[in-house]
Amino acid sequence: MRFSVRIACKNIRRRPVRAALMCIIVLFLSFTAFMGGYLIISLQNGLDGYRARLGADIVVVPSSAQGHGTVDNVLLHGITGNYYIPQDSLEKLDGIEGIEKKTGQFYLTSAKASCCSVRVQIIGFDPETDFTVLPWISSSITGTLGDGDIIIGADIAYPADDCLRFYGESYRVAGQLEKTGTGLDNAVFTNRRTIRKMAESAAGSIERGSLRGVDTENAVSCVLIRVKDGYDSSEVADDINIHVSKVRATPSASMIGSVADGFGSVSVFISAAAAGIWLIAVVIMIAVFALMMNERRKEFAVLRVAGASGKMIVSAVSWEAALIGAAGSLIGLAVSLLLTAPLSESIRNHFSLPFMQPDIGVVVMLSAGAVIMPIIVGVAAAVLSALRITKNETGLLLREDA
Amino acid sequence: MKLRAENVGRMYFRSSKNTNFFYAVESLDLELEEGKITVITGRSGSGKTTLINMLCGLLTPSCGRVLLDDKDLYASGDRERSLLRNRSFGIIPQGQTGLQCLTAAENVLLPVSMYGSSKGKEDKARILLEKLGIDDLWDVYSNELSGGELRRMSVARALINDPGIIIADEPTGDLDADTTVLVMELLKERARNGAAVLIVTHDKDVMPYADTVYTMEKGVLKKA
Repeated sequence: MRFSVRIACKNIRRRPVRAALMCIIVLFLSFTAFMGGYLIISLQNGLDGYRARLGADIVVVPSSAQGHGTVDNVLLHGITGNYYIPQDSLEKLDGIEGIEKKTGQFYLTSAKASCCSVRVQIIGFDPETDFTVLPWISSSITGTLGDGDIIIGADIAYPADDCLRFYGESYRVAGQLEKTGTGLDNAVFTNRRTIRKMAESAAGSIERGSLRGVDTENAVSCVLIRVKDGYDSSEVADDINIHVSKVRATPSASMIGSVADGFGSVSVFISAAAAGIWLIAVVIMIAVFALMMNERRKEFAVLRVAGASGKMIVSAVSWEAALIGAAGSLIGLAVSLLLTAPLSESIRNHFSLPFMQPDIGVVVMLSAGAVIMPIIVGVAAAVLSALRITKNETGLLLREDA
Repeated sequence: MKLRAENVGRMYFRSSKNTNFFYAVESLDLELEEGKITVITGRSGSGKTTLINMLCGLLTPSCGRVLLDDKDLYASGDRERSLLRNRSFGIIPQGQTGLQCLTAAENVLLPVSMYGSSKGKEDKARILLEKLGIDDLWDVYSNELSGGELRRMSVARALINDPGIIIADEPTGDLDADTTVLVMELLKERARNGAAVLIVTHDKDVMPYADTVYTMEKGVLKKA
């Protein structure tokens, strides 16, 4: 083993408190580097998923669908709701100018009872007019979505027989969607005929109250609209709000905008907190190394007397910082990985934002960064301090300490 | 091996006084001869330590040059000068100079392990410690040693590489009369084997071992 490595190891072993203190500082650097990156990437992924899944320019819901169960709540938080647009309002939408495509979706909430395997939001779409769901789910199923088939969100578990029960009937799981980080991970998709069948079963059983008087044959919970080129979606939405009663049209840009604003402020908060902790930790690290090296002037002078070159001393100090840095950052990474799940859940719940964990490649990259960056900072701080001392003549160092 | 100082002097800047700078060592000539013990005495602050630091390559002179076998010590780079110091010099600095992360044995073997393996030199280290009466402290960490034990340990460290030049600053400072004899006998033995030995001391017990004695006063070296 090289002399510089040997002397570094011996110094660490003989000064465990000093080494532990440095380890803790590095641990903070590593933890904030990993966690900051992880949370920001997860939120960005969630926002991207949300944007991609909305897929329409305007969302029209009944005026009564306020608060819980609105489209953004279904998409973002998986909050379930049953609401339906009156038939006369639907007909009036046909008269609005600037609409290129529109498709209706029927929402049904499964019951939390023995008749249903899970309580989820069931979304029925019309395969003939749909332009938002089919492009997305086509990668998850082969062939067409037949009657009685369902596609389930990424977070829904299903039994080995590939069937889920809703209102006493069994439905075949035709595929499972990739994770989006939105409420859609807890939703079930099916075609209109199948959801009508579910609604009829529901009307005859538990959900009777919310479905009373609903024309399950024709009713829709929301209408998703794509506007023609040259039309402004805000103006078309205003037009709908003025001319069509009992509905509320919202441009999807404003829905995404509010989520993006939330993402922006949370992301700024996380970045600022991570940068602040890094700044403080780096300053502490430089100060501790400077003090530590100052305290070791005599030790360096003795090494020089015995024949060590300045380079050898800097190398020994670098090894010491690198070994402490590696230990601290690996512990920091382990702590980060352990806290990832609870901290992510807490942020997700606290800020009500879409959240999708990065894939394994990104996690590996973040981990590598969280280990390597603090080591580089530690070694740089140690080397700078050591260089400052070794540039002094040994004779002067000995004289100071005599 | 011969060490020669030619017109060597050292000036220090002293910002707190109006004089701006002063000479700690006035320009002087000195030759350390093989097989001889040279002793420098003088009052504290007379420039003795500054002089020996310049002689062993630890302090660049403000003027003149230091020649080791006709090679200018300060004309070479740090790495070469460090290697020369490791191979050719045995330095016993003033004060306590044990590395706390090392045992007494590891401290003694430090110059050997720096540029290679200390294996094969362990017996020699043990003999040196035995001669100095501290072989029982082989595995003891240096922060657990007394002042006198540390002093003897640094003497052993200076001698481990069989250096041609031995420079000692107060080598018997912390030692009683009996231990002083042990240290001086060891240095005398090295001189007999051809080493040039330079000792800076106030200790009168060292004088009988000296071949040449110099006194230093206000940076000026005079033969006694």
